[in-house]
Amino acid sequence: MLGNILKIIDRDGYISRPMLSRELGFPEEVVNDGITQLLRMGYISEEKTGEDCSSFCSGCQFAKNCSKEIVNFFKISDKGLGFLKGR
Amino acid sequence: MGNGTIALVGNPNSGKTTFFNALTGSNQYVGNWPGVTVEKKEGRFKFKGKEYHVVDLPGTYSLGAFSEDEIVARDYILTGDADIIIDVVDASNIERNLYLTTQLLEMGKKIVVALNMVDEARKRDIKFDIEGLSKKLGVPVIPTVASKEKGIKNIIQAAVDMINTDMIVENPLQYNETIEHHICHIEEALKGEDLPYPSRWTALKVVEGDEEILKALRASGLNKDPMQYIDNFYKYHSSENFELEIIDTRYAFAHRIAEGTVQRPEIEVVTLTDKIDKIITNKYLGIPIFALIMLVVFQLTFEIGEDVLGEGAVSLIEGFGGLMESFLISMSAPDWLISFMIDGVINGVGAVVEFVPIITVLYLLLGFLEDSGYMARAAYVWDDLMRRLGLQGKAFISMIIGFGCNVPGIMSARTLDNKKDRMITTLINPFMSCGAKLPIYSVFIAAFFPRYGGLILFSLYALGIILGLIMAKILSKTLFKGESSYFIMEFPPYRMPTLKNVLRNMWDNVYGFLKRAGTIIFVVITLLWVIAVLPASADPYSEFSILGRIGTFISPVFKLAGFNNWQASVALFAGIPAKEAVVGTLGMLYAGQYVEEGAMLVNAIQHNFTSLTALSYMVMTLLYTPCAATLGIVGKETKSIKWPVFMAFYTFAMGLAAAIIVFQVGSLLGFS
Ligand SMILES: Nc1nc2c(ncn2[C@@H]2O[C@H](COP(=O)(O)OP(=O)(O)OP(=O)(O)O)[C@@H](O)[C@H]2O)c(=O)[nH]1
Ligand SMILES: [Mg+2]
Repeated sequence: MLGNILKIIDRDGYISRPMLSRELGFPEEVVNDGITQLLRMGYISEEKTGEDCSSFCSGCQFAKNCSKEIVNFFKISDKGLGFLKGR
Repeated sequence: MGNGTIALVGNPNSGKTTFFNALTGSNQYVGNWPGVTVEKKEGRFKFKGKEYHVVDLPGTYSLGAFSEDEIVARDYILTGDADIIIDVVDASNIERNLYLTTQLLEMGKKIVVALNMVDEARKRDIKFDIEGLSKKLGVPVIPTVASKEKGIKNIIQAAVDMINTDMIVENPLQYNETIEHHICHIEEALKGEDLPYPSRWTALKVVEGDEEILKALRASGLNKDPMQYIDNFYKYHSSENFELEIIDTRYAFAHRIAEGTVQRPEIEVVTLTDKIDKIITNKYLGIPIFALIMLVVFQLTFEIGEDVLGEGAVSLIEGFGGLMESFLISMSAPDWLISFMIDGVINGVGAVVEFVPIITVLYLLLGFLEDSGYMARAAYVWDDLMRRLGLQGKAFISMIIGFGCNVPGIMSARTLDNKKDRMITTLINPFMSCGAKLPIYSVFIAAFFPRYGGLILFSLYALGIILGLIMAKILSKTLFKGESSYFIMEFPPYRMPTLKNVLRNMWDNVYGFLKRAGTIIFVVITLLWVIAVLPASADPYSEFSILGRIGTFISPVFKLAGFNNWQASVALFAGIPAKEAVVGTLGMLYAGQYVEEGAMLVNAIQHNFTSLTALSYMVMTLLYTPCAATLGIVGKETKSIKWPVFMAFYTFAMGLAAAIIVFQVGSLLGFS
């Protein structure tokens, strides 16, 4: 499953947990665990979109807009890419 | 230890402590969230006249060495004095729980499975073949409802029976050939050593790369040869994906166990979102759909913000102005104060505040889109296009934030991890039309295109995006070459936006807008008012005032773009401290000029512009030099003075060029 998760998100360019769950036939909780495992092992990494500006612009009127996380971003690491190539 | 020790192991929140309390009659804390028990608890209970020892362990999802809880649980299972393990499984979530069961079996421990929370599972219409499960796992499986003390006697009976039999737990799973080969060889190398853990398991953990186990092996005083063998193994196989393969095999095993023994109801609803996603993230339809949605948003913004609520805001401010004027007159206030309060504050700052309804509605609608999960899909749709232009989808987030305000938009570019993406995203952000420019468009739309507000606004935003993307392409081919990083977005589930989130998003923007009107806009308008009424010898607000002379001096620059009246030129520069000041300045200057009754800013604009020059003026304000705060943040983020200066000039040039094109082409085609 882990290898397939990696393959699918590389193919699609996005992560949708319900879709992964359906395509792989694993329950969504297990898919979640799988993604956590991939993160832990460093095949993918999570990227934050806007948290580290809070301290800097906390005085500004639009500060709250700065730190909003509209989307979670992930990245397939070199290790992950290496794995995909080896397949 | 009496007649035996029983350990309770399981995923967090599966009901272990509930079991423990039911057995021992004690009152350990039970909480309906994971991670309640953080260290092991011990107790005793009597069953059929014999006393047993029971240990409640912290819940874990796996038995690696990745958290304190896992290590506590694992150490106890491996080295503690448990004779039998009750694996407490949450039946409503069985496949996930079986991952842990798989690892327990691999440890070679005697276990019985408590299939707990079957009541919950039944509610969700999940059905089990208990016998099949037990057969596949090779251990007893007993359904229980710990919270109602159901099945407890059965599971204890099964556990006690197991304690007293000499059974050897068969290793249930086989890894692929390479991994089995390595396990075999490492086990061989470890032969004869006094290992703290079972040998196959130890070898497996070595292949998996478990740091804790290695530490333990080193500490246990292993002989030189086997240690050497292990070190070599790592040396030659460090780049292989054994850990992933091993974990994968376990998931596959758990999956096979559940297959055929667990029946979940099909959930149909979810596929609807699949279908929606397929359409709105479609390569060809995605962007048109996004455009259509935005067009609707802008049209609604005008219909609700301007037509329904706008009137109210205008009469409120005018009413307040009239009240203020008569009050000041009744106090026999000096003329300059009356002029300042009415022309400067009410007509200037007030002209800005009038647009609060539009701002409110626009950000209400955008917040709704964001909270619904749509924006993440939009970012994905853009990602594809942007990547071809030398940017990446993450930059789209900066752009969306930039529609509120360019300052945080640019700051969020900080999280892009390579310099190229960061610089390009920063440099194009000012083309994303911020909230402060909305009053400018609104007033010109009200003057000339009241029926096409949504369409004009949409076209302006679209123009900003398109020029931004063209600039991105140019910059990535010239100043900032190189590879973009590639990101994977996660689609959040669609959901009904919550009122709280939507209102908060709206309020953040409206509050920012109002606060600026009360601070920076007020200051700018005050300063401009002073130079608009000086020197005393000149008519106030006339071209002979200081401001008027400055305006007359610079206005020829805009001749080709068609709006070379001095007030319009001065207003553009007043917009550099803050964009709302454009409208504020026009409000002050034109109102001073057209004193006749009921002459509002909109009327004054109709006098001073044509629909074509109104268009070219809007295009200019969309693109030209961003506000001082934006330039400041560019300086701060790039740690240089060069980039803000570059930005100030190149955007000005782009704005002017575009405005000229609009005016000249428009004139050629016969518009006026
Ligand atoms: N419906 C239902 N609820 C149960 C059952 N067993 C336990 N619960 C509830 O599940 C929740 C978690 O129970 P705990 O005993 O704290 O779970 P735990 O496994 O000790 O959790 P951690 O200590 O966090 O690992 C509590 O609210 C219990 O009342 C059951 O069989 N059926
Ligand atoms: Mg507990």
